Amino acid sequence: MTAGGLTVGAEATAAPVRRKRITPVTYLIVVVLAFLVLAAVRTMTGATDLTSSGTVAAALTAAVPIALAGLSGMWAERAGVINIGLEGMMVLGTWGAGFAGYQWGAWAAVFFGLLLGAIGGLLHAVATVTFGVDHIISGVAINLLAPGLALYLSKLYFSDAPGGGQKQSPPTGDVAHITIPGVSDGLGTIEKKEWFFVSDLAGLLRGITTNLSLLTVLAALLIIASWYVLRRTPFGLRLRSCGEAPIAAESLGVNVYRYKYAAVVISGAVVGLGGAILAINSGRFNDGQTGGRGFIGLAAMIFGNWRAGGLTTGAGLFGYTDAMQLRGESAVHALVLLLGIALLVLAVVQFRNRHLVVSGVALVIGAVLVFWFATTDKIPAELVGAAPYVVTILVLALASQRLRPPKADGVPYRRGEGG
Amino acid sequence: MRRVRGLRLAAGLLAVGLTLAACGGSGDDSGNTATPGSGGGTSAAGPKMKVGMAYDIGGRGDQSFNDSAARGLDKVKAQYGLDVKELEATAGESPAQKEDRLRQLADGGYNPIIAVGFAYSESIGKVAKDYPEIHFAIIDDFTEGTDTGDNIANLTFAENEGSFLVGAAAALKSKTHNVGFVGGVNTPLIKKFEAGYTAGAKAVDPSVKVQVKYLTQPPDFGGFNDPGKGETAANGMFDAGADIVYAAAGGSGSGVFKAAKAKGKLGIGVDSDQYNLPALASVKDVIMTSMVKRVDLAVTDFVTSVHDGKFAAGNKVYDLKAGGIEYATSGGKIDDIKTKLEEYKAKIVSGEIKVPAKV
Repeated sequence: MTAGGLTVGAEATAAPVRRKRITPVTYLIVVVLAFLVLAAVRTMTGATDLTSSGTVAAALTAAVPIALAGLSGMWAERAGVINIGLEGMMVLGTWGAGFAGYQWGAWAAVFFGLLLGAIGGLLHAVATVTFGVDHIISGVAINLLAPGLALYLSKLYFSDAPGGGQKQSPPTGDVAHITIPGVSDGLGTIEKKEWFFVSDLAGLLRGITTNLSLLTVLAALLIIASWYVLRRTPFGLRLRSCGEAPIAAESLGVNVYRYKYAAVVISGAVVGLGGAILAINSGRFNDGQTGGRGFIGLAAMIFGNWRAGGLTTGAGLFGYTDAMQLRGESAVHALVLLLGIALLVLAVVQFRNRHLVVSGVALVIGAVLVFWFATTDKIPAELVGAAPYVVTILVLALASQRLRPPKADGVPYRRGEGG
Repeated sequence: MRRVRGLRLAAGLLAVGLTLAACGGSGDDSGNTATPGSGGGTSAAGPKMKVGMAYDIGGRGDQSFNDSAARGLDKVKAQYGLDVKELEATAGESPAQKEDRLRQLADGGYNPIIAVGFAYSESIGKVAKDYPEIHFAIIDDFTEGTDTGDNIANLTFAENEGSFLVGAAAALKSKTHNVGFVGGVNTPLIKKFEAGYTAGAKAVDPSVKVQVKYLTQPPDFGGFNDPGKGETAANGMFDAGADIVYAAAGGSGSGVFKAAKAKGKLGIGVDSDQYNLPALASVKDVIMTSMVKRVDLAVTDFVTSVHDGKFAAGNKVYDLKAGGIEYATSGGKIDDIKTKLEEYKAKIVSGEIKVPAKV
């Protein structure tokens, strides 16, 4: 995940080159190169938090809810339904987790998060698919409804529960965390040596093998499974056909309504799970806990080009920067250099692809950042908190130039009107 | 497609705005339901005094600041048989919504009205001008010209003094000579905590390293209510060598304690004696002490003064001397250094040590 910062460049390299898909091998090479740059910056600046196991672990925790929100958006939009109600469904998920968690434990919380999210998804599906309501309006309605509903239900159920309040649930409990004993300790020793690249790699691996929540594993499996189902199964092909050309799909005997329903309900369940994980990691449901993560996930999905790999990269990038700015301000200073280098690389790549304007913008911002790094010792605390947003937007916006949403995304579809 | 994306973005922003508006709306509704019952304000006074209370984000059940105020209110309610109306704030609301809330209470005939938290500073200044006959109190803020007036009592605390003592406790207990401070939001009030904490730690051990981190910058007040952020920040400090972290971060403090527990380190609580809070029972063994702010005392004092016709406007400081600030000893983790802390306390009370209020 640490390497996520620069892997976006990989997609930029490949995307504009006339639909030539990047092979896993190229992707791997770019990841390794990016990580080398990261290690070099770490060695140069001495900001160990750039690749420390603590940062990696915190980044994973921060990235998971956002990645699931993005994944959820992908499910709905691949079937042609814009789901702007992600934030609201996530709120329902957090409440469901709080409600079930304090009574029956963390895994029940996960299940209820899924369930409540799916109910939110079902609502969106009924409105958009059955009644043909504008997708945006239905989504906004859900975003309005969900926080109010969650607050109302909290007052009803949590006010008198021990350890609860009008705006928060009692503790939900946590699922098991796994540590690979020998590996984790061994890597810890290597990490402390501060060797170039080797220690950085050890930090990365140790972050993944130490105190890893099973929920993070679950999320990772879900992302892979979603990719597989959507890209490699007949079900996924038909679902995507509903998002690209629903009338053509209908003419081939696909029940478009059913696929849209399935997609949007799955979408709700996935983002509900994201909410549940957020609540469990915080220890309880809190009013206003989601803090716009649904929207950040939506943005990650758009810049990730409606693909699992892209949105995971975006979420990882956000989680990584967010973790780093919270852990220590010195690392954020080093991050300025890193971002500067990344943008300069992007400038070269975009120049070769003849996106001259983008290349110029990247070049200027990159140069300014490198200059800023060279002439200062630290970043003002007021700006540090904005780092995740700035980094994610700059890298993703400048890297992804040819976004292609599903063709019939957000387009109303009525059965039998294809003529 | 580009247009669709623009529309989507616009709708997203709209959604955020409306959501916030809706949250504020729910608060207003709860207020309106009360108005009919309260009837003709002054004429319906009878023997019962009507006290209005407007909470800050978190409200009752925040296990910290607001709960402390609520405890004070509950006590005077039982004592004097008050008619009490409580309204809560929602995350991300505007000053106008806070103003509305205070006006609702004033129009409902509630007198006195207590605003819990510095966020009400501007709103209370405006509202109090329009209702000169009503007694107002604001907790945690005294800004000349903004929230001062003949009918406003400013109930403030010497958080820096209490933070000095827990800072001293941290430095006395730290084995690594490295302690941390996690502030919820970077505001002047929380900086006061930081100033006292750093001064206390340095007084014990001039070479001690104090790591400081604020979770969010205003106007984002989410840092008071995000345990995940607290946990990440505390983990960063523990990894960088700290072994005790002071959580001056409201509801985010539970994340700090969670991190401390996972790493076998210690945390320091804030506002209430957090060792004894049911919501933190699972992490209480890492809560070394808490900087206790007797908001309940300020509330009971204020209501009593109005009840007895002895309202006094202006700044009233609750400090160590007045018993408005304490450090908690629950759990027995600081019993061995208690005499030293009492010495510092005596020096602060006598004025021998002047604790800075600004960083």
